[in-house]
Amino acid sequence: MLARFEGERLLGYALLLPAIVYIVALIGYPFVLAVWIALTNQTVGSANAKFVGFDNFGWAWENSIFQTALRNTLLLTFGTELVKMVLGTTLAFLLVRPFRGRGVARALIIIPWAIPIAISVIAWRWMFDSQYSVINWALVHAGLMSASAKPNYLGDPSIALWSVAAVNVWRGVPFSAIIVMAGLTAIPQDLIEAAHLDGASFLQRWRMVIVPIIAPILFIALLFSVVFTLTDMTVVYLLTGGGPVNSTHVLSSLAFQVGIRSTALSRGAAISLFLFPAVLLVSFWLLRLLKRRDI
Amino acid sequence: MAVAGLFAVGGRRRRVSDVLAYLGVCAFVFVLAFPVVWMAITALKQNADLYPDDAIPFWFKLPPTWDNFDLLLNRTQFVQWTITTAEIATLVVVITALVAVPAGYALARLNFPGSTTLGILIFLTYLVPSSLLFIPLSQVIVQLGLQDSRYALVVVYPTFTIPFCTWLMSGFFKQVPREIEEAARVDGCSRIGAAIRVVLPVSVPGLLSLVIFAFTLSMQEFIYGLTFVSTSAEKPVTLGITTDLVRGDVYFWGSLMAAALIVGVPVAILYNFFLDHFVAGITGGALK
Repeated sequence: MLARFEGERLLGYALLLPAIVYIVALIGYPFVLAVWIALTNQTVGSANAKFVGFDNFGWAWENSIFQTALRNTLLLTFGTELVKMVLGTTLAFLLVRPFRGRGVARALIIIPWAIPIAISVIAWRWMFDSQYSVINWALVHAGLMSASAKPNYLGDPSIALWSVAAVNVWRGVPFSAIIVMAGLTAIPQDLIEAAHLDGASFLQRWRMVIVPIIAPILFIALLFSVVFTLTDMTVVYLLTGGGPVNSTHVLSSLAFQVGIRSTALSRGAAISLFLFPAVLLVSFWLLRLLKRRDI
Repeated sequence: MAVAGLFAVGGRRRRVSDVLAYLGVCAFVFVLAFPVVWMAITALKQNADLYPDDAIPFWFKLPPTWDNFDLLLNRTQFVQWTITTAEIATLVVVITALVAVPAGYALARLNFPGSTTLGILIFLTYLVPSSLLFIPLSQVIVQLGLQDSRYALVVVYPTFTIPFCTWLMSGFFKQVPREIEEAARVDGCSRIGAAIRVVLPVSVPGLLSLVIFAFTLSMQEFIYGLTFVSTSAEKPVTLGITTDLVRGDVYFWGSLMAAALIVGVPVAILYNFFLDHFVAGITGGALK
């Protein structure tokens, strides 16, 4: 019995070893390397790096473009997350009831999440084009906008961040909807019927039956979604490139701009490390949630 | 998956709410799917027809054309990028399967100290974002001698496919009844023999979703390609499209949208078939 247990333990570790090695070598080591780079003064191609302590973090913190990027990152993440959750839940409730064409509708609404993001951002860039925006055409011809006051979605610093947010929401709503739908379908039918027979109103059923059951799953989805939005740079990079006049940079796109494009590796690494506390926090939260559920 | 009981209302009220719900669904579908429709219309338009101030943009004023596809397929490296992407994604699938299937099995089936925590930790590395890693990884890639090569991406992409797929596979393996494995062992199979001959064959749907997700996650990645690869022929398709079909401020909209369509639609269809497995993976069985 003990021998069998020993064998099982060895086999377990042996089967896990490749995954652990891969993760340590290509996530763990690079992460440590990122911290080291951020504490030195490396640029692309410079051979002798010197330890400079927290200088790069200090430089970033004082930098006005960094401050804008930090503000944008927080605004975008929490603002769009709220909208995604509200719209996603609404959509889930619409789609969870039986109707003809439900399968087709579900397939269509999943498109923004399934299509490679780089590709859909290019399509949005075309729809937001300054010369000819199909959105503006529709609004003008629907009488909702005057032809002389057409917004420049990507070129106007006061609007560009809203455009980035819109694409983020467009991309994220299907994810929220699908997760909430999965949660709703997991609720035992008889539970709802029982509540209904007991005379519970829709709001009561929602508060007493539905929310307690789908809350954990909603929360897990929310945490994932937060990390994805917080750390995504593709939308900003391809839609606005951080412009106009650096008004739409987020931390990750600025880290790319500074660290790779302007070859100031150490400063770029420092900027992206500002994301780490948030990611760590979310990870701890998820760890606790997942452990408690004992799966 | 339909849940009628959530909305149990009767008679006339029911019909009104049905109509409203239908309209709601239509509005969502329109907004969420419109960009793809717009891709298709743009891809088939002549250049002169792209900015029709005096006509309805949703239809063709000038006759539709295949010119944009012709430019894309014959005068850009689109075909090469697609082949490169397929090669990268296939290799990533192989690496992922070789690493994640044993790991997922170990987490699901073998009892050893710390297995639950270890499993969750592996899954959580899925959250370590590429935006935190692209700068140090660009140095690792140089150390490996893989700069400006598609193989840099083959090495790096498993950092997000392995955590996700290990979790996915462990979920699948947990659903396989222990009895069939034990029966095989009574018949004289070793532990690994039973796993390969009995557990794997009934886990084919799981393996299939591993293949689909490792493949599509590889296709969706953009930042690592942007950071590590600059030679056109080595580029994955999403990177090639967005860099080589844009010259300065000039966007080749027709061909860009044609490319978007050719790449995006198959990925979206594949994804749709395996959506439920994806949801199960993300929620980590929190629903069971």
